[in-house]
Amino acid sequence: MTTMDSSVKLAAPSTLTAIDVEGKWNIVSERLQKREDERLAEIQKKREQKSETAALQESTLFFTTEFNKEKVAIEAGLSECDRVDKANLIDRFDFLSLSLQKMQKFLAESTMFLPPYEVRLAQETISKLQTQIQEKRDELFPKKKFAFKSKKKVASSEKLFAKTLPENVFQEKVEISLTSCKYENLKDRCLEKFEDEINNRDVALARLENCTVKLYGVPSAVNMYKLKNCRVFTGPVSSSIFITECQDCVFVLPCQQLRIHTTVNSQFYIHVTSRAIIEDCSGVKFGPYNWKYPSLDEHYKISGLNRNKNSWNDIDDFNWLASDTHSPNWSLIPEGELVKSWDELIS
Amino acid sequence: MGLLTILKKMKQKEKEVRLLMLGLDNAGKTTILKKFNGEDIDTISPTLGFNIKTLEHRNFKLNIWDVGGQKSLRSYWRNYFESTDGLIWVVDSLDRLRLQDCKQELQSLLQEERLAGATLLVFANKQDISGALTSEAIKEAMDLENIQTHHWLIIGCSAVTGQNLLEGIDWIIDDIASRIFTMD
Repeated sequence: MTTMDSSVKLAAPSTLTAIDVEGKWNIVSERLQKREDERLAEIQKKREQKSETAALQESTLFFTTEFNKEKVAIEAGLSECDRVDKANLIDRFDFLSLSLQKMQKFLAESTMFLPPYEVRLAQETISKLQTQIQEKRDELFPKKKFAFKSKKKVASSEKLFAKTLPENVFQEKVEISLTSCKYENLKDRCLEKFEDEINNRDVALARLENCTVKLYGVPSAVNMYKLKNCRVFTGPVSSSIFITECQDCVFVLPCQQLRIHTTVNSQFYIHVTSRAIIEDCSGVKFGPYNWKYPSLDEHYKISGLNRNKNSWNDIDDFNWLASDTHSPNWSLIPEGELVKSWDELIS
Repeated sequence: MGLLTILKKMKQKEKEVRLLMLGLDNAGKTTILKKFNGEDIDTISPTLGFNIKTLEHRNFKLNIWDVGGQKSLRSYWRNYFESTDGLIWVVDSLDRLRLQDCKQELQSLLQEERLAGATLLVFANKQDISGALTSEAIKEAMDLENIQTHHWLIIGCSAVTGQNLLEGIDWIIDDIASRIFTMD
């Protein structure tokens, strides 16, 4: 019994082990298989996801192209409105509103798969178009707005409006009648004026490109307008200099007052006895006046400018009223970059 | 006694006149003010804000407000409209390029309700410089003849020499006085 027992005991473990091993192998292989399946499934899933996002991207692309087509069509329709005669105008606006409604619907249907950013962008576009259509409509069919007005005021403002009508005619007249002492509409030139022509006069420089201008004398005032890539040198200007809409220029000038407007990327070598100001400018740099010519001393005397007072480095920026931080629109030309002598550069 | 009479009596006692001086930048507003007041005009910088001067002239107390004319300051002009008796509009007679701007700015001022009763004096400044537009040319260009809402006068002047400044101020005071104060 004992032996049997033992044999059984002996056998039992051995057979058990065999079964166990087989069973375990089965379990393991099953597990492995399962894992393999899972892995494959995962790959499959990822693959599907990938193709799904691709589809998503494709449909986003499809949406934006279609949407933009509609947008362009509406904008084109709007810009044509001015040329359409009144009778057809109402139909035209109805059509535009209908197109816009279609766009809205298209967007609503597409929100399912569109990223939120695209949705927001599209909504903005739609509302923008809507206001554009509305504005155009208001412009072409002016609605009378209700407002309280005193009778007297209506009468007076009507009178004013009636009389200000021929404005455009006048505007041209102003544009061409610059002062007689001037350079206007020139390109790639070297221009000079001398004291007999400019002393005690106002000088205008307008719409010059790639020019070097030298004013040897004492103008009363100088007005510069729309200069591009120019170099301007003046003798002492007894009152004010006014500079507007210039770019990439170098100005070398002394004066009593200096106003610089809407000018970018330019350098100023100045002598100003009051404070120079800038407004709507950026990238303007300042240094001290350093142009020299034989009769400069005499011209200074005529101009009455105080040679000992120069606030070239103290500029007021009308767009930067904070006094504790420096305006980002102007700076001083670094010492090392200052041009020492202009003779070689401009001769 | 009506309210107007009371008001007139009150004003008469003080004989105080409030003048508002406006115009585009570089017109010479501050220079006119300082010259009129006998101050040095060589050191005037472009006005960043405003200047007020109270002067005695012909037994009137003149409060002259000179507000900067830079584009970025023009939106603040309306803060100064209240109880203005006279508007002095200064034009740079050299600035042909911006005469149109100048005309439009003035026209929008004249439609301002709070300036409805004010007398208008237009100074065509810088007449001392040769090449300046005459006051006649500016009158035409700015279409002043058609102003019917205000008493107005245009006069050529020079803030640098002082030419016609007194004449202009005298006219505007007389006009205001004839409207507001009971004549003696």
